[in-house]
Amino acid sequence: MDVGMMSQEKLLIVDDLHKSFGSLEVIKGVSFDMDCRERLVLMGPSGSGKSTLVRCLNWIEPPSAGRITFDGKFVESGKSDIRRLREDIGMVFQQFNVFPHLTALQNVALGPLVVKRTARKAAEAEAMELLAKVGLSHRADHKPGQMSGGEQQRVAIARALAMHPKLMLFDEPTSSIDVELIHEVLDVMVKLADEGMTMIVVTHEMGFAKEVADRVIFMDQGLIIETGTPSEVFEHPQQERTQSFLSKVHLA
Amino acid sequence: MFKWSIIFDNLPFLLAGAWTTLALTVVSMIFATLAGLLVGLLNMFGGKVIGAITRLYIEAVRGTPALLLILIVYYALPRIGLNLPQFPAAAVSLAVCYAAYIAEVFRSAVESIPKGQSEAAFSLGMSQAQALRHVILPQTFRRVLPPLANEFAALIKDTSLVAFISMEDLLFKAKIIGARTYNVFSPLIGAAMIYLIMTTPVMQWSRSLEKKVE
Repeated sequence: MDVGMMSQEKLLIVDDLHKSFGSLEVIKGVSFDMDCRERLVLMGPSGSGKSTLVRCLNWIEPPSAGRITFDGKFVESGKSDIRRLREDIGMVFQQFNVFPHLTALQNVALGPLVVKRTARKAAEAEAMELLAKVGLSHRADHKPGQMSGGEQQRVAIARALAMHPKLMLFDEPTSSIDVELIHEVLDVMVKLADEGMTMIVVTHEMGFAKEVADRVIFMDQGLIIETGTPSEVFEHPQQERTQSFLSKVHLA
Repeated sequence: MFKWSIIFDNLPFLLAGAWTTLALTVVSMIFATLAGLLVGLLNMFGGKVIGAITRLYIEAVRGTPALLLILIVYYALPRIGLNLPQFPAAAVSLAVCYAAYIAEVFRSAVESIPKGQSEAAFSLGMSQAQALRHVILPQTFRRVLPPLANEFAALIKDTSLVAFISMEDLLFKAKIIGARTYNVFSPLIGAAMIYLIMTTPVMQWSRSLEKKVE
């Protein structure tokens, strides 16, 4: 590693993050950091807090305690600060959450139009490019109701990319998609990773993790219990809980 | 006894009343819809204090007769120097009353939009207002039309309350004819038919919209 890389600031530093819903503490003090261009896969049984963790990173769920530093700036929970943070962090949801009243093209162009006040022509031209990138040029004028889950999720990815995020969060992006269409979405994500996008992906797709992840973080009961490269975590898990989870995923 | 001739002989007179009814309904409805949207949004997104105030207003209106409001505006407000002529007084009272119902229509429509929609809007960096304007409200539009049409039909009927402040709407005109001809039955039936001609298409339209939304 050269000196330039060494001195580079971390893109994201999460320090002792907690999140409670009422009296139920879902995240019990999580710390990790990541560099630019790094790809992180978050795994763990349901209820382990991994989805809540990524939703805390862009304040869709405001953290209860802890510090988040993004792109060298400590994030404070003032409204404008949070909005600027969200512009820089793209998010892809398990349920797609594409806007059903808009066409694919309008879905992708909306963020730049409204938030960045990009001129309509420029926003739509770029939206077209992004739809091409996710393989949906031919669907530009279709509404989500006419699309498959895999297509809707790719529109959602293009919509997030339109804001030129520095970090992309994927919250179980393939869990609601028919098995035979999952590869459409994973292919797009692999392509993004190849282009150097910084990504945090919550997923159970081991193949994707092995191919793309620099690091796998394994969570259980609101805590990080194991972290390492995919081969370290998958082939030589240190924790019993990781082992038992992986054996179940392998069987599935 | 019922006589068609009484209805036909006095039809222009009845229709003049129907025109008042319709004009009052349309004017009240426009203001009620705009105010209802505003009150509904303030109730949901205005914060604790404004939320409580708007809730108090909605519940107060829903828990009292519309007639009471009309009587207050027309007879009681002049005592504190607020003197409104008949038509504006009636329109204001009905708008204030229906704005509360319509606020609830908008609230339930906004609440019926899945939470993921605003989360997606926020994740792009949108403010609450931007998310409402570009993502949430456009999706509620189709859902609010059927209940709004229902409120419109209900308002056509409720305008008959203004007969209490001697406004010559359809019902009042019918009563005048009754007194003049010593035949109460015929003009009231005539008025009923005209009310039905006005309300039925609106309710039909609402029902067909409902089917479309489903």
